[in-house]
Amino acid sequence: MKGTIFVELVNMAEEAFGEDVVDEVLENADLENGGAFTTVGNYPCSELIKIVVAFSEHSGISAEKLQRMFGHWMMNHFVENYAEFFEGKNDSFSLLEAVDGEIHVEVKKLYPDAELPEFATDRLSDDRLKLTYSSPRPLVEFCHGMVEACLERYDQKAQVDRCPVPHQENATDFDIRLEK
Amino acid sequence: MHDEALPAKTEVSRRRYQREQAARAEAEKLLEQKSRELYLANERLSAYSSELEKAVRVRTEELEEALKQAELAGRAKSRFLATMSHEIRTPLGGMLGMIDLLEMDETDTDKKELLKFAATAGASLGRIVNDVLDFSKMEAGVFILEKENVDIRALIESVCALAGSNEATRHRNLNIEVSRDVPHIFLGDATRIRQVISNLVTNALRYSTDGPIHIRAAASQHPVGCLLRVEVEDAGIGISEDGKKDLFKDFSQVSNSLTAAAQGTGLGLAICKRIIESSGGVVGVASEVGVGSTFWFEVPVETVGLASADAEGGERDQRNGNILDGKRVLIAEDNIINQKLLLTYADRLNLVADLAENGRIAVEMFDPKTYDLVLMDVAMPEMDGLEATQRIRQKWGAFTYPPIIALTAHLMDAIEEEASVVGIDTILSKPIPFAELKFALEVASCGQAPSADEAAEAAQDAVSATEGQGGSILDRMCDATLGDIRELFSEDKLIELAHKYVDDCSKRCERLEAQFDAGDAAAVRAEAHSIKGSSLMLGFNNIGEWAGLLEQTPLGDGEPRSWLNQIRSELAVLRTFT
Repeated sequence: MKGTIFVELVNMAEEAFGEDVVDEVLENADLENGGAFTTVGNYPCSELIKIVVAFSEHSGISAEKLQRMFGHWMMNHFVENYAEFFEGKNDSFSLLEAVDGEIHVEVKKLYPDAELPEFATDRLSDDRLKLTYSSPRPLVEFCHGMVEACLERYDQKAQVDRCPVPHQENATDFDIRLEK
Repeated sequence: MHDEALPAKTEVSRRRYQREQAARAEAEKLLEQKSRELYLANERLSAYSSELEKAVRVRTEELEEALKQAELAGRAKSRFLATMSHEIRTPLGGMLGMIDLLEMDETDTDKKELLKFAATAGASLGRIVNDVLDFSKMEAGVFILEKENVDIRALIESVCALAGSNEATRHRNLNIEVSRDVPHIFLGDATRIRQVISNLVTNALRYSTDGPIHIRAAASQHPVGCLLRVEVEDAGIGISEDGKKDLFKDFSQVSNSLTAAAQGTGLGLAICKRIIESSGGVVGVASEVGVGSTFWFEVPVETVGLASADAEGGERDQRNGNILDGKRVLIAEDNIINQKLLLTYADRLNLVADLAENGRIAVEMFDPKTYDLVLMDVAMPEMDGLEATQRIRQKWGAFTYPPIIALTAHLMDAIEEEASVVGIDTILSKPIPFAELKFALEVASCGQAPSADEAAEAAQDAVSATEGQGGSILDRMCDATLGDIRELFSEDKLIELAHKYVDDCSKRCERLEAQFDAGDAAAVRAEAHSIKGSSLMLGFNNIGEWAGLLEQTPLGDGEPRSWLNQIRSELAVLRTFT
């Protein structure tokens, strides 16, 4: 898993809980590298889960909630640091539709060995998009948070329902209906 | 680790921490930027390399195409040369024959000498044409080496006998030394080995004025059997280092005062080199200017088992008597005149002959245990000679066959390929002089050519017989043919045979007339072919020629009928001799 996820997770925690709390939680989380992450590194996903669980235990906020918060945080991080991905995308659907075809292509150029999730989209109508998220990692909530943040980024409101794809492991359908 | 060496709680200033954070972020960004550049560079590189590969592929294809074109052109050139040489050979042979005939009748010594010059010039032209033909055959890739029993001792002797037989070379000393390790018989292409040795000996004579010429042969161990080494040493002018470089190249010649009258094509050594190299050998020269040259070649040869070598030796000894004595021969021939001639030839050669009137009968009669030789006419009714040969091969499978010799009035080349496919060993072209038939039968039955002396003798016999002849119908025969067959028949017999021929031909002409009316082109061709064969056999060349024209021309226009009329009127003339 890309190091930038870890770095940003720690940044978010620092902002939410303060540096001292983060130091303490990380020290007790039994991490392989003691929490010294760099954006250009690659780390096992299990380490991310360990951190989320540790903060959840420390704060009493559920792991699912934390993941979703982190989704919001991450989307904002992308908006701030990778503005080029958002150029020419005038609404949330355009951006979500561009994840696999454009953004992941660029990521692969820099990190040919990156294992990226898939975001298949199907525009059911002008205001309805089906997004199928497939990843072996248990990060559906994180994805959900990103979808919500994306809608917020474009000042759009929507009803987002999700359910696992039948007969297909590790895949979840997001049914996104814009509200006028 | 370090933590223990440091005080338990070390405070890092916030400013310093932020600086470090910023530096790290900078470093990470830099790394990503470099990664991107690297990626793009890689992409350009692979695009470039695939473009390069494509260019190489296109260029390779172009080169292959160009090479193919060049090879095609080369082969076309060689084929042209081969065809031309072949075409030149035939009329040249005719001219030389005419010159011989003129010389025989000529009494004026001045004119005789002129004719002799003409004959010498013609003979050397013949050699050149043969060289070019061999060379272009090699170029065209149709030069095939035979595998037959070779007696190198007899072969070298005959080469020397021939080379030292003319006036210019008679006084020269040709010294043959064949080492004891050289096997008596081995497998090789006798004709080609003879050609190489003959070439080297001729060169040795040509490039030296006196001093002995040594021809040595030795053998050493080789995985195939043994490695034969032959050397020809002269004490002549020698060759400079520069000259050696081009020596074995095509069309090159060492110029010198001895060869000022440009002899040969400069192909001799190039041909030798090709022959030797295609037999897996090497050829070379050691030479010193003013001292002499030693040309040598080495070829691996298969030795034959002791038993068969002995048998071979035994047969060779008999040859001085007559190796054909008592041999059983099957003659397949439909034309009665040719039958008569071939039977007479066979009788003269002490052969026991059986006759088959066509290919089908020949197949029925043939048995490898019964016959030592087969003479097979090509054009026969019911089943032709090629098909008959093929059937015999099919019927008798893996038996060891007696040699099958095909006789044909066709152009030899036209059937050469087909004949070799069905398994015919030798093709003789009609009319067949007695000497040539005898020679071919001898070669076929011992798998080895008799010495050149014998062949020359036989040919001489044939020629000398042309002198002096009787009157009557025989006057209408071609002299050369008459000379050849007079040996076999008494004059009465010959006249009888000629009349039989006239009767037979007249009947065939009647049939031809009917076939013309019926428009049966195939029957006309077959009939004409038969007339041609017997006419040429007996030397009635005019009739033979007209019949040949009849055979080749499609029906329909007026010409065939006019040739038939010409044949008839000639037959009418012949009938007046009765």
